[in-house]
Amino acid sequence: MTGGSVHRIRLERGTTASVQVGAEVRPDEVVAVRRRPLPPIRIPIADPLRRRADGIDDVLTVQAGSQVEAGERLAAAGSHEVTAPVGGLVLAISHLDGTILLAPFGPEEPVVGHVRGKIRGIDHDAITIDVPAARLRGVGGTGDAVHGQLALSVQNPDEELRAAAIDVAATGKILVGGSRASAETLTRARAMGVAGIVLGGILDKELRDFEAIQRRRREAGGLTASFGLLVLEGFGKVGIDPQVFGWLRSQIGRMASLFGSERLLYVYDAGAAPSRRPLPRVGDRVVSHGRPYQGRGGVVVSLLEELHATASGIPTRMAVVRFEDGRLAAMPLANIEATVRPEDR
Amino acid sequence: MTTDATDATTELSILLDIGSAWTKATVVGRSTGRWRIAAHAAQPSSWPDVALVDTLAARLADSADPRLSDRLRALIAGAPRITCHTPTRAGRMALASVSADLSGLAARRAAESAGWVVVESASLDDGRPAAERLAALQSVEVDAWLLAGGFDDESGEAALEMAGLVAAARGAGQTPVLWAGSALMVDQVSALFEPRAVRVLPNPRPSAERENVLPLRRYLEVLLVRLVEPGGARQLAPVGFSRAVVALARTNGLRISAVDLGAQYATLITVDPRGSADSLVLASGGLASPSITSSGNPARIAHSIPTAVDELAVADALQNLRARPDVLPHNDEELAIVHGAARALLEKMIDGQGRLEGIDLLIGGGRTIAAAPTPAQAMAIMIDGLRPLGVTQLAIDPAGALGPLGALGDDEIVEGTEMLRDDLLVPLGAAVVCRGTRPGHPAFRVTVHRAGWPSIGPIEMRAGGLQVVPLARGQSAELEIELESGVTLGGRARARRVHASVLGGVVGLVLDARDIPLVLPRRIDDRRAVLAAWQDAMLREIPPSAEAAS
Repeated sequence: MTGGSVHRIRLERGTTASVQVGAEVRPDEVVAVRRRPLPPIRIPIADPLRRRADGIDDVLTVQAGSQVEAGERLAAAGSHEVTAPVGGLVLAISHLDGTILLAPFGPEEPVVGHVRGKIRGIDHDAITIDVPAARLRGVGGTGDAVHGQLALSVQNPDEELRAAAIDVAATGKILVGGSRASAETLTRARAMGVAGIVLGGILDKELRDFEAIQRRRREAGGLTASFGLLVLEGFGKVGIDPQVFGWLRSQIGRMASLFGSERLLYVYDAGAAPSRRPLPRVGDRVVSHGRPYQGRGGVVVSLLEELHATASGIPTRMAVVRFEDGRLAAMPLANIEATVRPEDR
Repeated sequence: MTTDATDATTELSILLDIGSAWTKATVVGRSTGRWRIAAHAAQPSSWPDVALVDTLAARLADSADPRLSDRLRALIAGAPRITCHTPTRAGRMALASVSADLSGLAARRAAESAGWVVVESASLDDGRPAAERLAALQSVEVDAWLLAGGFDDESGEAALEMAGLVAAARGAGQTPVLWAGSALMVDQVSALFEPRAVRVLPNPRPSAERENVLPLRRYLEVLLVRLVEPGGARQLAPVGFSRAVVALARTNGLRISAVDLGAQYATLITVDPRGSADSLVLASGGLASPSITSSGNPARIAHSIPTAVDELAVADALQNLRARPDVLPHNDEELAIVHGAARALLEKMIDGQGRLEGIDLLIGGGRTIAAAPTPAQAMAIMIDGLRPLGVTQLAIDPAGALGPLGALGDDEIVEGTEMLRDDLLVPLGAAVVCRGTRPGHPAFRVTVHRAGWPSIGPIEMRAGGLQVVPLARGQSAELEIELESGVTLGGRARARRVHASVLGGVVGLVLDARDIPLVLPRRIDDRRAVLAAWQDAMLREIPPSAEAAS
């Protein structure tokens, strides 16, 4: 979790940047256009040029892999030539029927950056952008890049995000949920036009079910708006680290960008997010990554001398942590991290 | 003559294996003229180095010369370090082949066993429209493109079509294109790319009947190091681990198999006494790799553990392991899941490498195996996951010292492994694993002749049985094994009576008549009962009443 950072948008082949270095971009701005390949077409070469199918190599002016524009010459013999009816990529040349297999470029599709910032660089396969935002990195996620205002949908970090908590007011927003959300809740959120959801944890099963539903709907052509999901702490029912939750609560109403598959959340114009430090010391506020206190916050009361065995029998360095609900537990030091507020750094 | 504290000193070296999740450190010091492992420790790789120095100093404090106690930290911090590390990132490859099941499968095997991650694969028979195939290949970022297809004496349009697809997807990129297909098509394929972009490699599927993955794998191993980690091949943990095992095999004249199961990487190497090695390095074969959470694995792992954990809980635990591999299993249930995952990964490696048979020594490395809470658990993971056929000695590398030792220069590895031979490995004991058992029937009988002690047995092992016979570390024994009809310990000989010499260890002698592969009941309760019985058997030795003089 850091402050301003550099974000990279990968450009697949067939994508052209539409911004310039130094330009300021908004999250909803188109930064590139892409032309996807369409189902390929066969273009006869041998017949029009009166050649044998296995003898077209001499007349070809392109080869497999070539990118051609509409009207560009593909082959020529004497005064006769064959041109590309559309722009596209030459996939193969058949010596069996004397044809070229051409994948036409589809219509231009806008590539929205979903981040606000200044273009730092553009090369053939990526655009890099300086993003003036606090960044949170999660442990899991799914879905598209999205942006929207941050909104709070639960009152505390342990609370589960319920379908009933999502209404029309959430449309276009990135919701901060709590310790989990069911596939039903996620499906409803997407249907209501929610841009994205940030959770502490999610059950692997719920995530897979949700992804399966989305896949089927996409195949059926029923998906339009984008949706992203970010999991901050772990899998299962896991609350958001209380310090991070408190920070997110203080950022409600700010614009944010969520990249589900990259497990990233940017919050613009926000103060730095709480950071994490391994190997906590006595007095440090900590978050537990191990069960049974996964996602819970507490304070290190003492460090145990020498090695102690966990309940699973592994000898390791342990700390005694007083969790926020008052419970005292010995935790492996490897399973906790200090959470450091920006003002304490 | 007396020496005051300021004069006292010692020679120390640190062996350091920096893994993607845990860092393992070993202090090697000179004691009464010999180099010994004086202490070892492990910590999450995210922790600062000073914490590791403090831990090592604390471990050394009890055994070190008292005159050095105030300076141990400084001595450890200043000691020369021999380091290896997990590759900073895996090599990413896109694979295009004519057939998913023939050329594609062989090429994928070669690439994955050489340590590459195949991020996208396309074949003419993958059921996707050409446009979708092209879009998929366009969407990936890779270090190399691997093209496979066409038998060696054939020249086909199909292979050329796949090469064209790659040329279209790759565009003007600089990434190398590797042609591992028909030799007759080299010129045609090369013509699709800019000059010198295509490298010609051995065809892993030279004919419909023959697969020949090894030459391609060897080339891809070298290429991976050159492209992804130039300049430091032997400092890579999989490379160092393998080099150290080769040195051990050559020095001791043993056929050794060794497995190193880490968070990201998994390495399995088998070396014959002359040093000829066959290795498998899976960049995505470790406990925190995405493959462990792939569909079907949670159910498979849930079925393989004796405790009643449902598949959903296993799936969450595996995802947490992937997300935070340095977090320790909190309780027995989580530990069982991690060990179940380890067994599943070892089984997968055996699928890729071929069955282990006739191995003299099997070594386990990586925290999950070598730092299991009990040695019996380490032995159970190795025996269950790898199923080594025959009579095999087993040991673990608890300090994680093999990798760093393998990072030494060629002429120093043997010296290093020889100097530390008494400390490097902890012998677990030996295992007798058979194949060809029939349910409900006896599999084999064993009599254990121990020098200076009463013999044990004959012990009759019935199909599905597992038993540990006491055999202490350093104690040797002669085994007289009588096999039932159809049961084998491997090898060419079909002898019914087998003699073998074994050495004891911290676990003992394991008699395993559970067949290869393991067969489990279908009913959940029966399966758990069988698994619990096996777990129980590994943790207890046979009672003295079973011992009888022969």
